[in-house]
Amino acid sequence: MSTPGGVSTLGALVRQRARRDRLQIAVWAVSTGLLALTAATGVARTYGDDAERAGIMRLAVANPSILLLRGLPQGAELPAFVFFQIFTYLALMCAFMAGFLAVRHSRAEEESGRAELVASTRAARTLPTVATVVHGVAASVALGVAVALGFVAGGLPVAGALVSGAATAAVGVAFLGVGLLAAQFARTSRGANSIGAAAIGVAFLLRGVGDALGTPSDDRLSMTSAWPSWLSPIGWAQHTGAFTADDLAPLLLCLALATACIAAVFAVQASRDSGASLLPERIGRRAAAPWLSGSFALAWRLQWPSIAGWTLGGVATGLLAGSLAGVVIEAARTNPELAATLQSIVPDADASVAQVLISAMFAIAGVVAAGCAIQAVIRLRQEETGGTAEPLLAARLGRVHWLADYLVLGVVAISLVLLGAALASAAGVLVSGDDPALIADSFAAAAAQLPAALVYLGVLALVFVLLPSATSALGWTLLAAGSFLGIFGALVGAPEWLRDVSPFSHTPVALGTSTDWSGGAWLAVVAVAAASVALLLMRRRELR
Amino acid sequence: MNASVIEASGLEKRFGRVRALDGLDLSVGAGEVHGFLGPNGAGKSTTIRILLGLARSSAGSVTLFGRDPWRDAVALHDRVAYVPGDVSIWPNLSGGETIDLLGRLRGGTTDARLYESRKAGLIELFQFDPTKKGRAYSKGNRQKVALIAAFATPAELYILDEPTSGLDPVMEAVFDGEIRRVAAEGATVLLSSHILSEVEQLCDRVTIIRAGSTVETGTLESLRHLTRIEVSFAAGPSDASLTRIPDAHDLHVAGGRVRFTIDDERLPAVLPVLGSLGVRALVVEPPSLEELFLRHYGDPKS
Repeated sequence: MSTPGGVSTLGALVRQRARRDRLQIAVWAVSTGLLALTAATGVARTYGDDAERAGIMRLAVANPSILLLRGLPQGAELPAFVFFQIFTYLALMCAFMAGFLAVRHSRAEEESGRAELVASTRAARTLPTVATVVHGVAASVALGVAVALGFVAGGLPVAGALVSGAATAAVGVAFLGVGLLAAQFARTSRGANSIGAAAIGVAFLLRGVGDALGTPSDDRLSMTSAWPSWLSPIGWAQHTGAFTADDLAPLLLCLALATACIAAVFAVQASRDSGASLLPERIGRRAAAPWLSGSFALAWRLQWPSIAGWTLGGVATGLLAGSLAGVVIEAARTNPELAATLQSIVPDADASVAQVLISAMFAIAGVVAAGCAIQAVIRLRQEETGGTAEPLLAARLGRVHWLADYLVLGVVAISLVLLGAALASAAGVLVSGDDPALIADSFAAAAAQLPAALVYLGVLALVFVLLPSATSALGWTLLAAGSFLGIFGALVGAPEWLRDVSPFSHTPVALGTSTDWSGGAWLAVVAVAAASVALLLMRRRELR
Repeated sequence: MNASVIEASGLEKRFGRVRALDGLDLSVGAGEVHGFLGPNGAGKSTTIRILLGLARSSAGSVTLFGRDPWRDAVALHDRVAYVPGDVSIWPNLSGGETIDLLGRLRGGTTDARLYESRKAGLIELFQFDPTKKGRAYSKGNRQKVALIAAFATPAELYILDEPTSGLDPVMEAVFDGEIRRVAAEGATVLLSSHILSEVEQLCDRVTIIRAGSTVETGTLESLRHLTRIEVSFAAGPSDASLTRIPDAHDLHVAGGRVRFTIDDERLPAVLPVLGSLGVRALVVEPPSLEELFLRHYGDPKS
C-alpha cells in the first residue's frame, strides 16, 4: 500500500491531520465567516447614515477603551468602519484556531505517546512537524477565505475583502509558528496552550494599547497608531488598512515571524529527544504538603497555575482601565471639543466620563473571570474522564461534596480575577494621579462583573451533572456566544430577546450612585439556583 | 461461614440496551481472600464500580458490610482500600504527593507515625521513586502508587482490580506478601485477576463470571472436583494391558508418554492397576485453575 518517498508519507500525515480536524476547522471557519458577514450587514443596517457613522467614529477616536476593544479608525466610510469594528476579533479567531492546532498536532501527540508510534515509521521525527505546518497554513487560508466571502456577501468591496482575508490568514500563520515553538518549550500540551494563548493575549493588548494611544487625524475620523501596535502580529495585519490603503506589505512581518519560529522549531527538534522539552521537568516533592488533604486542596493544587494566569489577565485589564481613564481625562482637560464629545456618552448626569470608561473596560475582566470559572468546571470533567476522580470517590469523599469543592474553588477563582483587576485599576488610577474617588469606582465595576461570571459557573456545573460529555464544548461556546452578544449584540443588530440571553447584557454598569444593580441581583439568583440544582442532582449521578 | 462482607445477588447493570451485568451473584465472607475471575468484558470492573458506589445497579441487591454501597458510599469508604487496574494519577503531582493525598482522603493517616513508617517500608519494598511527577511514571510505577497508598493505610476490605498487570515478577512477589500480611491481620480481599497462579496461591475461594453472570463459585478444592485429574507415564506397557485401566478417558500416546484423564474419586481404584503395569515416570496432576478457566471462558454460553 505504501509507496516510497517522503512526499507520499507527508501526504499521508497531512491527510490524517485534515481528517482529524475537518469538523473543527469547518466550525472555526464558518463561524468566523458568519461573524464577518453579520458585522458587515449589521453595521450597514444600524449605522447606514454617513453623518451618524462619522459621529460615532469621532466618539471612538476620543475614547481609548473603545479603540482598545475595536481597532484603528481609518475614516467613516462604511467598509472601513466595519473593518475597524470587527477585524481584531476575526484575527483573534484565526490566531486561536492556529495556535491550538499547532499544539494539538505536536506537543499533545508527544505527551500521549502517539508521536512515538508515528516517529517509529519512515515519517521519523521531522516530517510530522512539516505536515503540521502545511495543515495549519491550509486551515488559516481556509479561515481567511471564509472572512473574505463573509465580507463580500455582506456587500463590501471585493479587493478590500480579499485583503481582510489575507490579513486574517497571516495572523493565523504567525500564531501557528508561535504555537509550534511553545510546544518545544512546554512539557505538556496544557502548558504549550497556555504559552500560546498568553502570546495571543499580549498581541491583542499591544495592538489595543498602540491604537488607544494613537494620534488622531485633523478631521478626528482616523488615527495613526502608536508604536506598541507595531509589536503585534494583529497590529501588523490591521496595518494593511483594508478597504482604504489595501497594503499587503505589513503581512510580510507576520510571515517573517512564522518563518523564524518554525526555523527555531526545526533547530530544536534536531537536537532533542522525542517527548523531551526545553523547559526541564522539575523533581517533585517526596511527600505531600500537610494542607493537601481534601478535594478542595487538590483542586487548588491542580489549578492554581491556570488561576494565576487568568488573574494576570484580569490585572492587565484593570491596569489599562485605571491608567487609560487618566489619559482621557487629561486630554479632555486641554480640549473642550473632546470633552463635549465624551460627555455625550455619559447616560446620567451624576456619572463621570472616567466611570463610563472604567466600567466598559471591566467588561473584559468579566469575560476573563467567566473563562476562569468555566475552566474550573471543565477540570472537574477532565478528572472524571481521565480516571483520577475514581480513586477520590473510592475514598471517603461524596460526589456532592466533590462538586461543591469545585464550585467553591470557582467562586474563589472568579473573585481573585476580579479583585486583581480592581486592585490593578486602583494602582493605575493612583499612578496617573487621577481623582482617588475612581478607586472606589474600580471596585464597584469589578463587583458588577461578579454575577455574570457566577452564572457561567453555576450553569456549567448543571451541564456537568446532566450532560457531562458536553461540558467542555458547551462551556466555551456559551462564553463565546455570551460575550459576542454582550459586546457586539447591538452592533450587529441582534434582536433584543437574543441579547437578553447573554448574562453580560444584564451586568450592571457601575456609575457611582446612579448604578442600577437589579440586573446583577437577578444574575446572582440564576447562578445560585443553577448551582443548587446541580448539587441536588449530583446525589443521583453516576461517575461516567 | 463468617459474616458476609460483600453480598450481591441477581445484580444487573444496563447501559442503554447493553447488559453489562445480568444476574450476578457474589458472596465474600469476612477475612476471606476471594478471587474474582472472568474474561475481558465479563463485568468485573462494572461490579467493582457498583461495590464502590461509583455506579448504581439497575436491578438486584448488593450490600457492603450490610449497607448500600451507593447510598452509604462515604461512610463505607473509610473501611475500604481500592486499587484500580488501569491506574490514572495526576500528571503534575509527584508519586509521593499522590500517595499521601489518597491516604489522607481514606482517613488512614491519623496515626501519623504508623502511616509514615508503613509508607517508607512499602516504598522500599516496591523500589519506588516518589519524587517523580505523575506523568513520568510507567504503567507499573503508576500501579505501585495505588498499591502503596492502599497498603499503607489500614482497611477492612481491599478491592483490587487486576492490581499486578503491570508489575514484574519480583514486584508480584512483594504484592503477594502484602496480601498475606493484610489477610493475616484479618482483612477481607476481593482480588480480580487474570494471573491464575496468583489466584491459586492467594485465594481461599473464587467466583468465575462470564457475560455478566456468575458461572462458578466455591473453594478451589470444590471447583477442582468438577474437572478430571490428568495422569501420564512413560510409554512401555502394551496397548492390550492399557485397556485394563478402569474409567480412563481420552487415553492416548503422544511424545513418548501415555496420557489419560480420570475422575477424582476413581483415582484410588486406578493406582493399584498402574502399579501392576510397572509404569515409570508417573505424574498425577490435579486440574489447574487454568483448565477450569479455559473450560468456562472457551465455551460459548448456551
